[in-house]
Amino acid sequence: MSVTVFLFYFLSVLAIGSALMVVISRNPIHSILWLIGTFFAISGHYILMNAQFLGIVNIIVYAGAIMVLFLFVVMLMNLNTETEPKKNKWLKLAGVVSGGCLLLVLVAALKTAEKHGQLVQLKEGDIGLVGNLGKVLFTDYVVPFEISSILFLSAMVGTVVIGKKGD
Amino acid sequence: MNAIIISAIWGVVMMFSGVFSKSNAVVRIMALTGIALLLFVNVLEWNGVQLFHVNVRNMLSFDSFGLFFNTIAFGSTALYFLLSGRDMEKVGLHVAEYYALIFFILCGISIASSFNTLLMLFLGIEIISIPLYIITGTDKRNLKSNEASLKYFLMGAFSTGLMLMGITLIYGAKGSFNMDDISLGTYAMTPMLGAGLLLLLFSMAFKVSAAPFHFWTPDVYDGAPTVFTSFMATIVKAGAFIAFLRLFEGSFEGMHPQWQTLVAIITAATLFIGNITAVFQQSVKRMLAYSSIAQAGFMMLALVAMNGMAKEGLVYYTLAYSLATIGVFAILIKMKDYTFEGFNGLAKHQPVLAATNTIFLLSLAGIPATAGFMAKFYMLSAAVSNGHVMWLVILGVLCAAISVYYYFRVIQAMYFKDGDTQQMDTTPGFKGLLVLMAAFVVLIGIFPQWIIDKLYNIF
Repeated sequence: MSVTVFLFYFLSVLAIGSALMVVISRNPIHSILWLIGTFFAISGHYILMNAQFLGIVNIIVYAGAIMVLFLFVVMLMNLNTETEPKKNKWLKLAGVVSGGCLLLVLVAALKTAEKHGQLVQLKEGDIGLVGNLGKVLFTDYVVPFEISSILFLSAMVGTVVIGKKGD
Repeated sequence: MNAIIISAIWGVVMMFSGVFSKSNAVVRIMALTGIALLLFVNVLEWNGVQLFHVNVRNMLSFDSFGLFFNTIAFGSTALYFLLSGRDMEKVGLHVAEYYALIFFILCGISIASSFNTLLMLFLGIEIISIPLYIITGTDKRNLKSNEASLKYFLMGAFSTGLMLMGITLIYGAKGSFNMDDISLGTYAMTPMLGAGLLLLLFSMAFKVSAAPFHFWTPDVYDGAPTVFTSFMATIVKAGAFIAFLRLFEGSFEGMHPQWQTLVAIITAATLFIGNITAVFQQSVKRMLAYSSIAQAGFMMLALVAMNGMAKEGLVYYTLAYSLATIGVFAILIKMKDYTFEGFNGLAKHQPVLAATNTIFLLSLAGIPATAGFMAKFYMLSAAVSNGHVMWLVILGVLCAAISVYYYFRVIQAMYFKDGDTQQMDTTPGFKGLLVLMAAFVVLIGIFPQWIIDKLYNIF
């Protein structure tokens, strides 16, 4: 077993284990901390696949900024098990059944995936490097890149409209 | 490309018009200029005049179908601005920003009618959705508006997540975002492609409020300020439908037999739930929300049938439905009381409004000699010519019959019941425009093909 294969399995177990803990934990704060762990494990996967930029951005944006915001919101709202709303038993059952159906479909879909047996593309594929990514972004994908600015602009206008005092 | 760029630029212009002018009239005139300009550049593009030479790398393709739809969407928005622009000023202080958001939504709609990759589909749908979450919550003092906005945002974000997951799975199966590549060899459906297709279908069904993904619709349409409900229920819904049809026609037409039954079941559920629930509503605004679900069911028939007639029929349906619904909402906005009782005796006090409202409601119900009849006719005959879904056609006809009940309740209240006088600030221009719209609804109901051909030829 080479180091990369060992690393792959280690990160996979870490990611899946923390993701399960996110769902299982009773305390929302613990859930968020586990979620940060999941993001770090996934970033490890990205780096393993030679996509450094994606790995770093994942840590900075998700594990850093978004999770801190998340943590603050949960702390400010002071959620704990006592304030948790009581859910209908049938609603829970329906949730389990529909979630199980989705799981079944996804497992069926991924079981026969064409790249079966091939773990990750190691040491090859330099598309994830910052320079190449930038080149592709500003040549092939420049139209969606520019159009996404409209999306952010509209979100910004919206924040001002919603957040401004006076009416 | 003209429409995408000009609408984005005009969104920015509208923001600045709010900075430099405190007068709402100036802002409104700017918005009307913008929509006229947008209509003009879109028609220019139809005639082959490109104002901007952008290498889109096959990510967008501007065919006459999409451009024709854009014309309808921009034309309906122009009518909407003329009829309800003044009422927008009563919602809050940031009138210029509301117009700016609407222009951004129009930009999203013109992307949704011309995308060629799933990447652009995602951007288009998001540019439509995010401003919508905001304009739903613009009535900040109203708790119902806040609740609607938050609910819409959370559920919309969830459905966007589903869409992304679907796009990811399709990318995994096909190795490309491009619809031309995705449609290659889709006759053999692998489980991965099937899962992606399902997730995309569910998220798009959410965006067009098809059952069983419709639960947000009544609350959001009811909670949002009525002016914006009118916009959401018509132009935005039509835009989402065009994206829906374009996606499934472009990428998954080869698999049509495999997903047809599923879409047919969704359509049947939408028709049934929308119509049955609308019968029990007490508020006209809520009734119109359910009626928009029911009308979405009819538009879904285009997806079930998926042939040339369905495509043309969908564009015609969006025109007929948008015109009638904008008209009904424009009158509803002027009412003080949104219940059915509020319409009591309207015919005596406001004969013009009552008469035009009647024509719009008849069109929505699909009574012959109105546009709505021909629209429903196109949809049902497209489904008949497809041949596999006769049961759905029968259900569609039955549901259209049910819809007559709740539309006629309004007409009955207006003409056959006595009520108090309501103060309504209507101008002669408002009434004149309503009469023109009603005349147009009747005209395209009597000469549908003639009008469609004319529209194709003029531009």
